[in-house]
Amino acid sequence: MTATAPLPATGKRPRTAPRHPYRAALASARGRTGLVLVALVVLAGLLAPLLAGHSPTDQSSQSLAPLGTPGHPLGTDDLGRDLLARLLYGTRADLGIIVLSVPLGALLGCLFALLAAVHPVLDTAVQRLFDLVLAFPGLILALAVTAILGPGRLPVVLVIALAEIPAFGRLLRGGILVEREREYATAARVGGSSRIRVLTRHILPNAADPLVVQIAVSLTVAVFVEGAMSFLGVGVRPPQPTLGSVLSQSVPYLSDAPHFAAGPLITVTALVLGLSLIAEALNREIRR
Amino acid sequence: MRGHVLRRLPSALLILFVASLVIFAVLRLVPGDPATSLAGPDAGPETVAAIRERLGLDDSLPSQYLHWIGGLLTGDLGPSYAIGGQSADLISDGLGATVELTAAALLFVIALGTAFGVLGATARRGWVRAAVRALTTGALAVPPFVTGVLLVLLFAVLLKVLPPGGHVSLLTAPDLAVQYLLLPALCLALPSAAVLGRYLKDGIERALAEDYVRTATAAGVHPRRLLWRHALPNALPPAVTLLGMQTGHLLGGAVLVEAIFAWPGLGQLAEQALTRRDYPVVQDLLLLLVTVFVVVQLITDLVYAWLDPRIRWE
Amino acid sequence: MTELYPSMPGRLSRRSALRSAGGGALLLGFGLAGCRSAVSETGSAGQEGSAGPRRGGTVSVAINSDFTPSLLFAQSSQSYQHRLIYNTLTRYDDRLTPHPELATSWDYAADGRSITLRLRSDVTFHDGRPFTADDVIFAVKNLQNPARAAQLRSTAAVITGFDKRGDHELVLRLAHRVNNLFDLFEFMIITDRNSVEEALKGTRLNGTGPFKLTKWSPGSGLSFVRNDAYWLKDRPYLDAVEFRVVSQADALVSSLRTGQSQLSFQVPGRNLAVLKDHPDLTITPYDTGAGATYLGVNTTIAPLNDRTVRQALAYAVDRDRLLAQSLGGYGLASAAPWPKSSPAFTETGRTHYTHDPANARQLLKSAGHTRLDLPLLHLALPGDTAVAESLQYDLKQAGVHVTLQPTDPATAQKNLISQKMPALWTMSHGFAQVQPSTLAVSAYPFNEARNTSKFHSAEYTRVVQQAWTSPATGAAAGRLRQEISDILLDEAFIIDLVIRGNVQIAARRLHGVTLNKFSYLDLDHAYLAG
Repeated sequence: MTATAPLPATGKRPRTAPRHPYRAALASARGRTGLVLVALVVLAGLLAPLLAGHSPTDQSSQSLAPLGTPGHPLGTDDLGRDLLARLLYGTRADLGIIVLSVPLGALLGCLFALLAAVHPVLDTAVQRLFDLVLAFPGLILALAVTAILGPGRLPVVLVIALAEIPAFGRLLRGGILVEREREYATAARVGGSSRIRVLTRHILPNAADPLVVQIAVSLTVAVFVEGAMSFLGVGVRPPQPTLGSVLSQSVPYLSDAPHFAAGPLITVTALVLGLSLIAEALNREIRR
Repeated sequence: MRGHVLRRLPSALLILFVASLVIFAVLRLVPGDPATSLAGPDAGPETVAAIRERLGLDDSLPSQYLHWIGGLLTGDLGPSYAIGGQSADLISDGLGATVELTAAALLFVIALGTAFGVLGATARRGWVRAAVRALTTGALAVPPFVTGVLLVLLFAVLLKVLPPGGHVSLLTAPDLAVQYLLLPALCLALPSAAVLGRYLKDGIERALAEDYVRTATAAGVHPRRLLWRHALPNALPPAVTLLGMQTGHLLGGAVLVEAIFAWPGLGQLAEQALTRRDYPVVQDLLLLLVTVFVVVQLITDLVYAWLDPRIRWE
Repeated sequence: MTELYPSMPGRLSRRSALRSAGGGALLLGFGLAGCRSAVSETGSAGQEGSAGPRRGGTVSVAINSDFTPSLLFAQSSQSYQHRLIYNTLTRYDDRLTPHPELATSWDYAADGRSITLRLRSDVTFHDGRPFTADDVIFAVKNLQNPARAAQLRSTAAVITGFDKRGDHELVLRLAHRVNNLFDLFEFMIITDRNSVEEALKGTRLNGTGPFKLTKWSPGSGLSFVRNDAYWLKDRPYLDAVEFRVVSQADALVSSLRTGQSQLSFQVPGRNLAVLKDHPDLTITPYDTGAGATYLGVNTTIAPLNDRTVRQALAYAVDRDRLLAQSLGGYGLASAAPWPKSSPAFTETGRTHYTHDPANARQLLKSAGHTRLDLPLLHLALPGDTAVAESLQYDLKQAGVHVTLQPTDPATAQKNLISQKMPALWTMSHGFAQVQPSTLAVSAYPFNEARNTSKFHSAEYTRVVQQAWTSPATGAAAGRLRQEISDILLDEAFIIDLVIRGNVQIAARRLHGVTLNKFSYLDLDHAYLAG
């Protein structure tokens, strides 16, 4: 973790002054590209009301209009709705969902992991709890939760958060287990630091690394869960678009009107690629 | 290690008990019931009442719960309410198909994931690493239901080399069965393979950056030996945890993939049973999945401990 | 070892060579080169030769939901196997004239209070037992049992006496005259009376039909083989029939496109476009109107208790756009429930309500409303959601703001049966394809005594009962049918949108497939050309 350590294979300019690794990460080529991609998608979502020339729910008799149709640059869907508007508002809806659900799941997961680190009995209990959540097929859970709560954004957020709890919890727990046995932790313990102090000051910062990667992965998984729920008819209440619902509506027309699917597919790809580039860049810098 | 297993048994049983309560309760919270589902769209109230009575749905909830658990303990799962046949037969048929699919997918995950990870971390040529990155990103960025439809379009509709869906048992006609298996297994495996690949890549890169590896490199140890003997083993433990979790994802993701490929596995059965409120089948099935999962977790932990000697169980 | 591509004859185009190369490479990769291809394993034809009927072959039928044995005696979404395993007494042609099946001839008494049926004497069940009048008596009594949930129970219940004249002649005595007795004979399958409980569990289905059920794999499909002792000589042509459950619409389409299945009736309208130009498939729409998409109105919820408001809704919806965009153009936009083949069909009825948002707004205004906010329940399935979205938009143009309630089918069914529907819902109904009176006494949404809309009117009950109990033909019958239509249109508690017939997608070489009025698949004369 020192600035003088030899650099990884790719070889970047040596740093002269220690910078916060996050800032350094975002300044790297990788980080910048990722940031630009994510920013583009986020901007598109945020500015949807300004950018979209139509309401995403206004229908017309002009169904499945091709790309470049006057007034509908991305064409229209089967019900004659403007695809650009549906894409922008769909992006907005997805961002709203994942920004809420993933941090919620991560927070709960980490709390459970910390709880587990306190005592072996708690550890067992928490582990079994994670097993329980993981054991239920996510989509079956989604069907049940939606049937109970009714359709809408809430069940989608809850299902994603619930599904993410064990992912974060188990990663952090695994990290803590490994780091706890490392020399520095043992040294700190032997040196008389309290258990909590060793955990929060020494172990956590090191064990948290994989979580950064996990956040990026989880954000993309969240986009998928939303899509899969739309596909099974238990997503956000129609006619509000989401990336997943637009994509699943496009499936019957994949071979006849591929542009229907192209918009949301490209957006999802950009989002996923951007997030993973940022995660990688962060990962590299943190590791130095 | 045997002690470890024994120590975990009570908690495993406890989790099964809690799971059975949760499953039972959640099902009763879901609106709609098997009697209306069975009665059909034009049944009158008297028909529904008759079916409710026949199915024992008018009994108190605790007595229904005990009836279910009693059946499980005596090995009699009883008849399915809505789908037809015996719950045990339905589940064992579905289980066979799902095990085939999940096992094949798991093979794909391990093979593709390791390839992605090792190539992504160590390939000398930049374009190989870029290609791996593109592939893993693609696998992660395209939702499985779209991948599935695209795979069918390409291999079944355009190329006509593989069937678009369906299932033939591995036992009756293995050569045909494999062809039916390829597309759904690949579709199911891709996202998990990409995740595993990323993890391995990170882990290997991290391990290669460790002091002892650098020292060894300086001492002239062959890079390949370093990779296979040091870097990969060090990257494995978190990957195994991940693989354990991905097994859960595979079982869960099977719902979608099985629907797209008309694969008669547990995912389809679970969806069908839940949509038709077939209480016994849903209950037995979910409890089975929890049991399988608990066992898989136990194995994962043991493998983890075995791979990573730094972890001690005291 | 069989050839890799027996389905692709001599002429090896560049494309098929590429395909073969690609496929070969792919299979080689898995150590399977030279093995059978799963692609060419399905839909084997009979012996090669000229066109025209021929013996042999297996037809694979793709169905979107499994057979439900407990609904064996009720009309359900999946009744295709009924006419393979069983027979009915008579069979309607397109003009609702009955033709002999197990009944060879029939005579109504002059007062319409009894009917004499003469039955075939050369029919045996699959287990070898001969078919007699007792089997008909059992079939009728069976449908009278409420637990069977048969939609035509009210008609079966009218039969109060049975006089056997030998084994093959039977007189049915009726409590009163009904005009839809042949609907019952079209609907009622003749099952083995000794194994009905097993039939309801799906373990043993013993009938007189052209095929025997050899295996039912719950959730995945049914297998049938030819009944060699079928009473129709030299029929059926086919050796075997397979039903495969393919629940997902896109998978169903793929299965047909690749030739894995040769027949399906359950491709949703909007998925049909892909199949339209397929060289190996033919699409045949049936005019029978086996189902109709409607907008249901709960007449007990204000302001929908006001007929004017309901009529406004009927004017607000654009049926033609709905048909074109959400249902793929297959169907008939219609305000009345009747398909073109129904004796009750009239063009003025069909176009009684047409898309007129201005008129809708005007009507709402006259009833004292400028904006309404109402929930609309629909099934959470892709096709149903598209219909609901379309309705929502149209209603909004007239000032009716609708919140969609996507609901899973089991919950929706419970709401339907227990009369707990919200203000508006959209679903589909059947039973308009046979005698018009059947719709009003048997189809739940239209039932005069108890319907989901909670609509009651003495007038409606009177007209329905009168229509049901008077002769099916003649000037009076026509007048009564018109009265039913007028009430349905005027009261608008069920707002019909699009009448949908079955759409048959079949392999081009499959001939002779028909459906009866209740969507029972009849493959007696079906064959696979070479």
